[in-house]
Amino acid sequence: MAASAAALRQLQEMPKDELEHLAEDIGVEPHEFKPQDLASAIHERRQMIAALDRAAMLDVVRWGRRPVPANASREHLAKEIAKIKSMRFSGLSQPGLIVLAVMRGIKLHGNEDERELTKSLKKQEGLFRRFNRKRRAWIGSIVSNMIAPDESDEDYKFLPPQPGASGNAPSALREGSIKDEIEEAGLIGGLASRVKKTADSYLNQKLDEIELRIDRKLDEIDNRLAEWRDKEVANRIRILKVTLWASVIVAGLSLVYSYVQLYFPHK
Amino acid sequence: MPDIDFFNFFRQLLSLVATVYATVVTLQSLWGWYVWLAGQDKYIGMVRRYIIVHGLRLRFLKFVGDLFVCILLCVVFIMLWHAHQLVHELKLAMN
Repeated sequence: MAASAAALRQLQEMPKDELEHLAEDIGVEPHEFKPQDLASAIHERRQMIAALDRAAMLDVVRWGRRPVPANASREHLAKEIAKIKSMRFSGLSQPGLIVLAVMRGIKLHGNEDERELTKSLKKQEGLFRRFNRKRRAWIGSIVSNMIAPDESDEDYKFLPPQPGASGNAPSALREGSIKDEIEEAGLIGGLASRVKKTADSYLNQKLDEIELRIDRKLDEIDNRLAEWRDKEVANRIRILKVTLWASVIVAGLSLVYSYVQLYFPHK
Repeated sequence: MPDIDFFNFFRQLLSLVATVYATVVTLQSLWGWYVWLAGQDKYIGMVRRYIIVHGLRLRFLKFVGDLFVCILLCVVFIMLWHAHQLVHELKLAMN
């Protein structure tokens, strides 16, 4: 309770623009609230996010093809879900629909089935937004037929687990069709996203190649160093052996000399 | 006129000079390595670990024969040294 109050106080002390930015991140529309109520709305949304089913959130992320690691925190997942604008709900489970509805600010009674949830989500979209989406979808289908007619969606993959898993994930790994992207972000946004994605994927591929080459080179250097080390030690020991041979021969000669001197003394 | 055995003189002088020289050079080198490797820099720490790893990865089979010969030669050298002492004692006894 005390921690909750402290978190709320911390939010209330934040500057207005930062608060608005935070609200947009977690799917709260800042202009729907009075400035003094925004902190409470964010606080409530955070508490609601903390209570959401994590598996269902991952389901929504998978459906929305957002780039997140599987070990991402609830808040990180919520931020990604807030970015999903898609209205094609096929493939999304009922818990996923509940999470999406909650994140989009729909009041639920708790006994809705999939059909009702879908209906509520569509109703919440509004006429103009729906019209704009349909227009974008139509443009998207034309463009996708023009530039990528045989494009098929690849299976979704989570990003590799990250230590903190709370930072912003790169959007490079998102794999949706261009039609969906144009439907969600408009013609320019969708195309820009596709170009960025292609460039990112090319860069990643090149970086992987460079990394592989560096690894190979490092292994080669390591092997050479190991060979050099063994040769160097063997050489040093050989030199030591030669020195010892010389010492033993000289010692032997010296012994012979001493022996001769003892039995055949110099007159 | 003192009776100097030049062979003995040369032998003892050589052993003295060679031993002192080898000891000084070896100690100098070891001290230099010790000072360098005892540094607090994080890269020196990496070098320290790298040296340990290389020490552990050393392939003994490549030079174990030479090492064995060196040990045997050391034993022979010590025996010859002992023989020298015996001859010297014998010489004193005979005199």
